[in-house]
Amino acid sequence: MTPRTPRSRRRPLALLGALLLAALLLAVPNGAEGRAAADPGAPGAPAGGYEKTRTLTRTFVDAQGQPVVDSTYDVTVSADQTTDLRGRQRVEVSWSGARPSAGRASNPYGVGGLQQEYPVVVLQCRGRDDATLPLDQQLRPETCWTSAYAQRSQVQKSIAVESTWTKDLYADPTDKQRVSGMEPLPDATLCPTADTEGFATHLTEFVTAAGKVFPACDAEQMPPEAAVGGAFPPAEVAAFTDLDGNGSVQFEVRSNVENESLGCSHEVDCSIVVLPIVGLSCDQEAAEPTRLDRECRSSGVFGAGSSNFTNLGAAQAVSPSLWWAASNWRHRFTIPITFGLPPSVCDVLDSRSPVGFYGSELLAQAALQWAPAYCLDEKRFKFELNQMSDVAGFTLMQEGRAPAAVVSSEHERTGGPVGYAPTALTGFGIGYVVDRPDNAGEFTDLRLTPRLIAKLLTQSYLGSDLGRGHPGMADNPLAIVEDPEFQALNRGLSTNAQEAAATLLALSDDSDVIQQLTEYIAQDRAAMAFVKGKPDESGMVVNPSYRGIELPRAEWPLLDTYVPETQDVCRTANPAVYFNQLAAPVTRLRQVAEAVLDGWPNVQTRCERDPATGRDKTGRVDQQSYGSRFMLGIVSLGDAARYGLRVARLQTGPGTFVAPTERSLGAAIGISEQAGPRRPFALDQADVVRNRQAYPGTMVVYTAAKTRGLEKDLAADVASFIRIATTEGQRQGSANGRLPGGFVPIRATGPTAKLLTSAREVAAAIEAQTPKPAEPTEEPDVDGGTPPPGQAPAEEDLTPPADPVPSAAPTAAAPTEVVAEVDAEVAPTAATASESSGLAGALFPALLGVGLLALAGTVGSRFFVRPPRSLS
Amino acid sequence: MNAHLLRRRAATLVLAAVALLTAAVPSVADDARDPAPRGSAPTARTAAPVPTGPSTPAVPAAGRAAYATIEGTGSTWSKIMVDQWIADVDSSGIRVVYSGGGSTKGRRDFALNTNDFAISEIPFQGTDEDGNADTSNGREFAYLPIVAGGTAFTYQLKVGNEQVKNLRLSGETIAKIFTNQITMWNDPAIQADNNGRGFPAIPITPVVRSDGSGTTAQLTTWLDKAYPSHWRPYFGKSGLTSYYPRKGRMIGQSGSDQVMSTIKAATGNGTIGYVEYSYPREAGYPVVKVLNKAGYYVEPTEYNTAVALTKARINTTDKNNPSTYLTQILDGVYTNADPRAYPISSYSYMIIPTGAGDRRLDSTAKRQTLADFMYYSLCGGQDKAGDYGYSPLPLNLVQAGFEQLAKLKKADPAVVLDNRDVTTCANPTFDGTNPNKNVLAEKAPMPASCDKQGAGPCGTETGTGEPSTDDPAAPSTDGAGPGTGTGQDGGGTGAPGTGPGGAGQDAPGGGAAPEQVDPETGAVVGTADAGGATSVDEIYATSTLVDDRPMDARTFGWVAVVELLALVLVPGIVVSVLRRRRREGQVAR
Repeated sequence: MTPRTPRSRRRPLALLGALLLAALLLAVPNGAEGRAAADPGAPGAPAGGYEKTRTLTRTFVDAQGQPVVDSTYDVTVSADQTTDLRGRQRVEVSWSGARPSAGRASNPYGVGGLQQEYPVVVLQCRGRDDATLPLDQQLRPETCWTSAYAQRSQVQKSIAVESTWTKDLYADPTDKQRVSGMEPLPDATLCPTADTEGFATHLTEFVTAAGKVFPACDAEQMPPEAAVGGAFPPAEVAAFTDLDGNGSVQFEVRSNVENESLGCSHEVDCSIVVLPIVGLSCDQEAAEPTRLDRECRSSGVFGAGSSNFTNLGAAQAVSPSLWWAASNWRHRFTIPITFGLPPSVCDVLDSRSPVGFYGSELLAQAALQWAPAYCLDEKRFKFELNQMSDVAGFTLMQEGRAPAAVVSSEHERTGGPVGYAPTALTGFGIGYVVDRPDNAGEFTDLRLTPRLIAKLLTQSYLGSDLGRGHPGMADNPLAIVEDPEFQALNRGLSTNAQEAAATLLALSDDSDVIQQLTEYIAQDRAAMAFVKGKPDESGMVVNPSYRGIELPRAEWPLLDTYVPETQDVCRTANPAVYFNQLAAPVTRLRQVAEAVLDGWPNVQTRCERDPATGRDKTGRVDQQSYGSRFMLGIVSLGDAARYGLRVARLQTGPGTFVAPTERSLGAAIGISEQAGPRRPFALDQADVVRNRQAYPGTMVVYTAAKTRGLEKDLAADVASFIRIATTEGQRQGSANGRLPGGFVPIRATGPTAKLLTSAREVAAAIEAQTPKPAEPTEEPDVDGGTPPPGQAPAEEDLTPPADPVPSAAPTAAAPTEVVAEVDAEVAPTAATASESSGLAGALFPALLGVGLLALAGTVGSRFFVRPPRSLS
Repeated sequence: MNAHLLRRRAATLVLAAVALLTAAVPSVADDARDPAPRGSAPTARTAAPVPTGPSTPAVPAAGRAAYATIEGTGSTWSKIMVDQWIADVDSSGIRVVYSGGGSTKGRRDFALNTNDFAISEIPFQGTDEDGNADTSNGREFAYLPIVAGGTAFTYQLKVGNEQVKNLRLSGETIAKIFTNQITMWNDPAIQADNNGRGFPAIPITPVVRSDGSGTTAQLTTWLDKAYPSHWRPYFGKSGLTSYYPRKGRMIGQSGSDQVMSTIKAATGNGTIGYVEYSYPREAGYPVVKVLNKAGYYVEPTEYNTAVALTKARINTTDKNNPSTYLTQILDGVYTNADPRAYPISSYSYMIIPTGAGDRRLDSTAKRQTLADFMYYSLCGGQDKAGDYGYSPLPLNLVQAGFEQLAKLKKADPAVVLDNRDVTTCANPTFDGTNPNKNVLAEKAPMPASCDKQGAGPCGTETGTGEPSTDDPAAPSTDGAGPGTGTGQDGGGTGAPGTGPGGAGQDAPGGGAAPEQVDPETGAVVGTADAGGATSVDEIYATSTLVDDRPMDARTFGWVAVVELLALVLVPGIVVSVLRRRRREGQVAR
């Protein structure tokens, strides 16, 4: 037990936890990459930030030729890191003192952000802002990436109304012509609409790193990475400034791997360009101001802080569309960035057979970084993580179809003994993306209780009026945002219900993550009372389909049966269980992480009839609008760190909410207990809650392999993996072989030391492949320190014969080679049958023992051991 | 036989062959960790440096080809496999994004130049159901088979409270179910399929795909070819469709994930749907054993799929006609007379852009990424197909695939394809001596005798990837203890050994059921007939006897609980009561 903290100090600690959350999970890998090789172990200081203040002015020249300052802003722009970046890394760009934005778009990225007013345009451009450099190394609008032509070119615009750039005070005379921009203008075969009599056009062509020029006069004349609906959503953004003049954006940079045309790399310098739009400065106006004069001087059509969900047209002069115009371009902040050396990678021609590790996705991010550290070393083997459910991986391992499984809890054994080597310390979280109302930015401190999670999982929120007809819960809130329990914990959020706020995106298949999440619910009295049918304080009741559902469990079932009655022609034709469509669980945690990242719920309630074809379109709802996003999903901490997802704090006591931090994960390991030699460390959620500082989603990922009957060279590979993963694999960083964000290093000292000890022990046992003892004397050992049985009266697993050679095989001390030699002469006649018959014989006394222990249990003793998961 | 180890061994042998061919470097001495007995085959590790050492291709100084991210859309049938391949190649710096969406979307995106590749189960159809164009819209392309698999019928059916996990159906019955002609689970046809075992009188709810789907196209191709008399009146015309014509009780769901979730749901009792075998495997859900031509009810394991596809006719008539070259004609698969063949087996295809001026796949780095992603997928990536519920490609299709990849180099000579060919492949279905032979199909175990029409049904579960067989030497039996270890050695070397013997067969063309396996399997079937002993006792699909009523189960359940409690508590209570009495007696005294 860790020493208890005095009560008065708990709250500050919780706050500290919240701060650490930001540190651990939101901090994108610090650009330690390049240096890491030279300076192993150094966590890497925040590399080169940026901050600069400039005065931005909008000036109109009046009819008399006098310049009149319309408005002035002292804008400060800063960025948190600028060097040694990796592709898809996010740089936090923030600003203050800018003009408040108006007409917020539902999606400010790419072409979606055009119909806004006074936004801050953030772009990635190739080159440096240095006039002394050769032209091809200089940053220009032509080297700035946009994913749509409409973001960079104005084609066939009405001369009288929509050609305000020709009135730009600072524009080069050539740019004030009816047709301007790219020179020479591409011929009509390429750009048939560019030069149309009676219309104005300005082309800002794009020049690729290879020097190829795309005229950007229509979608066809854009670089290939600019395809609509591409896999990488647009990164360039027209971001919103709040009413106080502040704003920020997590700007995702792209290397030449993601965007070859833009072509940024460790060899090609690039910059982030930040353009706070304050509106065009305008030329002398006519004595009788023309329409265009007025348009150029427009102050916009939307009120500051407003939204523009329906994508109405914004005033061109204050919109982001003309970011390239001289008035705007001269206001740029240029943040030079550098990319790190790409890590060396495996050779695709390496035809060594990979050694496959099968199972948990929790390890996925670590495995990606670890793999090259194996393949690049000829003395090692080719490591491969094959992701599937924990139980499927374990089964493959047991059946001898996989050398090792990767799991997070003990699984039912069907064959010989299995050792569980702690390999990584990580966990899961409730990832979220929640916008505060009135365009006030993202909500950053979501707090959840076990009962709220139970309400979500049991589908006790109605979702929409379609769910209202569900028998037995008609008065429940439509969504979690309407629930007073949630509102009390998370103040200042919109209470407008939406379907996505009625559900928690989870896994459809069996998983150790679901097992642990439901254990967290099961230990909570209020949550279980709710699940069993007791209404909460505001009268909300559990969905009757889930009332009394047995928890914990490894697979969350879809139990609802309600099909709404509606007049809707599409829904009448496509009757479906509404609550199942709301939940729509998926098979991989990564899918959840991507859905949260994109703010795109997996809710499948869409049903529209296409009047043209008469065909019904059913399926996933649309992506959520920026400013009104609300989505929750179960994510791995590794994915959360990789994608910069926010993770909710979970309640571990009245008023105590714990975030996943190095400390809170360490605290959980501190109180976890190993069920026996070479077995997993069980984390009792009741202990977690009592401890208060431990994070309930903490999970150890184990490499599980047979300690008997595994082919020798495979056993050596598995053992070597365990040793490497728990030593050099625990050094943090973003380089090959390092431990990525979202994982807590396992060290030789501190709370994680016991994991390391156990890992070494198991590695030795796996390598040794101890043969079955000649005479299996498998009597249930009464006084052999057998851990007490768990709560559930499971069959023969009550007695834990996890290892038929328990204390006899001393662990780390046993020299492995010796045991290995024994292996060679063992007759391969292992028969598991005798084991089970022994058990059967002992069943009756064992049951009596259970009874006695159960009696003792009522007196108050606690049991630490979680029963091994069953296979079904 | 242990499948994984066998594959490693097979791979090792391929490698060893390569080692001999190149004869470049003597195999590196065993390192300290590997005191392997000299007699055994060289391990993969020791053989490895050979191909990688001297023959490293001419790549940039960084030591590798330059890659750029490529994106694809399409089939969800093969998505589970493709996703794993994508994860695997990440460590090589190859970045691929695949977002599924259905085969129809994949082909449409390809035509619109919005993806770098598409994956589809069917080729471009020329015109779709609505009369719109289903062509590549002038974009040059080639088809490339990527993985094989079986379209499985997964279901939820309960007898009392027990879930049926060994349902068997004939193709005819399935056709009638998916055309609403058989609508109840107690239909006599279903009872006949299950050798007289009846199921409850609950309605059948077929779950079909609501989006444009290659899985639907595969199913309806089979229905149209094998059961036109049922399918065509229902569909109103002949031919396949990507959009299932939903009628009556049927439920439409978008994507394979959602089909699976609908069947697994609490409301799922009575549902049956079609998805690639990997989905029920991941979900731990049973699949229908489908009656094949030989009279056996079989499951779409990697083996049964591989056997069935030995009769797939691959169109190789005109290499210069991209719209037909390498496309599959599955008529022979549907009627494959091998007792192990799963009738609704097929291949999934990647559609790659081959034009030199392709608007989207327009750089050496991207073409190289596609080429190397496919190199891995066609070679090493096939090794794990079985683990995920798919079946590896045979060598001849992999070879054809490489020829298609060569078109990338034709479009852009800077693409490096050196050393990317079948000789460097670690693919379990390969027999280096006979490219037309599928090793996996040869070692596929014969179905258990209880899977025969008129016998059984077997009580073993489905949807696990484990073959249902009486063959004790079948691949991937469990509990590979030290005992089976020695057996594997023999099997491992044996499998390629049979290679030259089978040279007469040409799998895709005509060929017969592999005869050389007959002696072995014949014997096996014989012994099984006598005993049927290895099959687990029937516990799932029992006939609806009176004592199966849930009411009874509950009653007896409670009785059992009470009895158990009494058994446990009574002794303790008696003891404590006795003690108290004694104590009271003492006090009284």
